[in-house]
Amino acid sequence: MRTIIKNAHLIDATKDYGNADLYLKDGNIEGTDLGGDVDETLDAGGNVLTPAFIDLHTHLREPGGEVKEDLKSGLAAAAAGGFGTVISMANTKPTVDEAGIVSELVAKAEAIDQARLRPSAALSHGLSGKTLTDFAALKAAGAVMITDDGIPVEDSHLMRRACEYARELGLVIQTHSEDPSLRQDGVMNEGVVSQRLGLPGNPASAEAIMIFRDCEIAAMTGARVHIAHVSSKRGMQVVEWFKEQGAPVTAEVTPHHLTLNDSVFEEFDPIYKVAPPLRTQEDVDYLLDAVNRGVVDSIGTDHAPHTRAEKDLDMLQAPFGIGNIEVSFPLLYTELVETGKLELSLLLKLLQTGPANVMNWDAPTLEPGKPADLTLLELKTAQKVDAKIFKSKAKFSPWDGQSLKGWPIMTFVAGKKVFEREGVLEPV
Amino acid sequence: MIKGSTPVTLADPAAEKAKDETQRKRKHLLDLADWTKEEVEALFNTADVMAQVMERTIKKVPALQGFTVGTLFFENSTRTKLSFERAARAQSADVMSFAAGASSLAKGESLKDTLRTIDAMQSDLYVVRHAVAGVPYQLTRWTDAAIVNAGDGRRAHPTQALLDAYTFSKNFADFDSFEGKKLAIVGDVMHSRVARSNIELWTKLGAEVTLCGPSTLLPRELEQFQNVTLTNSVYEAAEGAHTVMALRLQNERMGAGLLPSIAEYQARYQVTEEVMAYAHDNALIMHPGPMNRDVELSGTVADSGRSVIEKQVANGVPVRMAVLYTLLVGKK
Repeated sequence: MRTIIKNAHLIDATKDYGNADLYLKDGNIEGTDLGGDVDETLDAGGNVLTPAFIDLHTHLREPGGEVKEDLKSGLAAAAAGGFGTVISMANTKPTVDEAGIVSELVAKAEAIDQARLRPSAALSHGLSGKTLTDFAALKAAGAVMITDDGIPVEDSHLMRRACEYARELGLVIQTHSEDPSLRQDGVMNEGVVSQRLGLPGNPASAEAIMIFRDCEIAAMTGARVHIAHVSSKRGMQVVEWFKEQGAPVTAEVTPHHLTLNDSVFEEFDPIYKVAPPLRTQEDVDYLLDAVNRGVVDSIGTDHAPHTRAEKDLDMLQAPFGIGNIEVSFPLLYTELVETGKLELSLLLKLLQTGPANVMNWDAPTLEPGKPADLTLLELKTAQKVDAKIFKSKAKFSPWDGQSLKGWPIMTFVAGKKVFEREGVLEPV
Repeated sequence: MIKGSTPVTLADPAAEKAKDETQRKRKHLLDLADWTKEEVEALFNTADVMAQVMERTIKKVPALQGFTVGTLFFENSTRTKLSFERAARAQSADVMSFAAGASSLAKGESLKDTLRTIDAMQSDLYVVRHAVAGVPYQLTRWTDAAIVNAGDGRRAHPTQALLDAYTFSKNFADFDSFEGKKLAIVGDVMHSRVARSNIELWTKLGAEVTLCGPSTLLPRELEQFQNVTLTNSVYEAAEGAHTVMALRLQNERMGAGLLPSIAEYQARYQVTEEVMAYAHDNALIMHPGPMNRDVELSGTVADSGRSVIEKQVANGVPVRMAVLYTLLVGKK
């Protein structure tokens, strides 16, 4: 099957190729301006065509949480957000801690034909933090990453042995680095705002301490440890310190930690409740600065959908998590790239080659021979976020109604169009 | 809903109800953040009128006749609930009490669903108490009724602060104004909505507030409020204070590693006669109740002539009457 995508502005993290017609053949990129017969013709309308994004941190809620999201809705949502590959998290019911569950997810996702699914598997059985899972069997079944994300691994000895074993198998361990005893029942960042609002706070030190522990164990064991969702200046400073020493650690930030601060809680809406919490503007600024200095390796969405009813509970009972995969790119493009705070090339890098490097995967570019995982981005028209048309089951969003630019209008996986935005983007 | 006409003393409820919504100054009482000093003074004046009503033989006026007030207490309370119910009934409002404690609320039932179900019975106003901060704000999104916050988590308890300040103004010798007055709050400030609302109110009225307690219960961030000082010394806190307010110490705090023991607290933070010697000659003693006798306050101090604790409780009714009246009917 040969496809031509005409009139595309080709950009990847390494290069701006300018305008060209891109040819796809049998699931791969064939080249530019080649000519010859094609089976399918598409018009990119001069829009930016770039490798589809890679998300190392998505909660698809299957098995067990299908009321919030499932593979079908989640992978469709990912494609709608411009993502071609996602790593699903393992904190499901049951947790993904047996090879059979991994195989089932892989098989199911293949039949769905949306964004590619690369499942992660739990570090400990049931995320209990007590006993290691069978990393080798899980890997053989298709797991690409080991993580207890959602729950911090409290026991340092277990973390150490997990790292040693993961290193042997070439697996990355992604950590949810928060010290539970300092975090306690904190629902938002501990600071001036939390004290004024009378809500239990989660101090940045809880994150910094655990990031230190996880990085130290990475350095000690030589394992590749990926620190998820760094949310604070303090936490990022710890990562930087270890990186300077050559520790095998990588760092992720989320779109919400780059764009929202804890003052949003004045509205008392649990839609903003997330772990680790939204921090102060000083933290947000520092994270962006770290991104610009090359300290951050990848942007991961930490897409964490819940039902509307759950997010309408009180601030203590409502679950943690923000569903954001469909708006992550437009949000970052509008608030950071358009305002001159972040270069588009760096944003693309953090969503493409950065995540690939963390995983030791082949870097996604537009060169011939690369898989035809692509997304077409309309960077010119501002449009209001309409959560009601989300592919995700969580049809509500902190950014609902906000005017954003940079909407993905088509996404391809292995050369096949898996997403096309309905209707035309109407200027706001 | 509006019943027959009766001689009115405060305002014609039917006419007031028909009054344009926009003329009413405010709809809810969630906290005192955006209240002006003038609004508070006007409310105190209304409370004075209400206090007179409560001195009559027949403690009833038809001011809120035809209005329905619902009490929605997700967190238990006897006194505050009774105080609000009294305040509503004394003005001839109908009262509906929803026992929304843990037993009657299915676990995980969203606040929204609970409210919507109750709201179908159309109260004009809900008095809400909940263990988690922010719930009254959330509720305002799901009903057209007015919401009065009777305490949400550790965040706010506006009617308590109003009755505390009102009691001070009625009992402090030669009271003329809050300007330059000093309120000392001693105890578990961190977990106290009474403290937070009093800080908000008294500073707004021109007073200074000193917060005192062990560091583990005294968040440093509170220093960022204007006219608020923090101290670990109960003597320093009492120094020149025009009123000393002691907060209730809960036993859980010991278990949670916040305080070693009650004995430590008593030795260092109990308000005793010795402590009160540092205060202003006419200083009053306050406590939001219920009091742990001989923990927060020594028995002697609690029973002394300076203590206005019982007056606080009594004033709760006219102050709450004034709040309900102001929100539902507006100023005369």
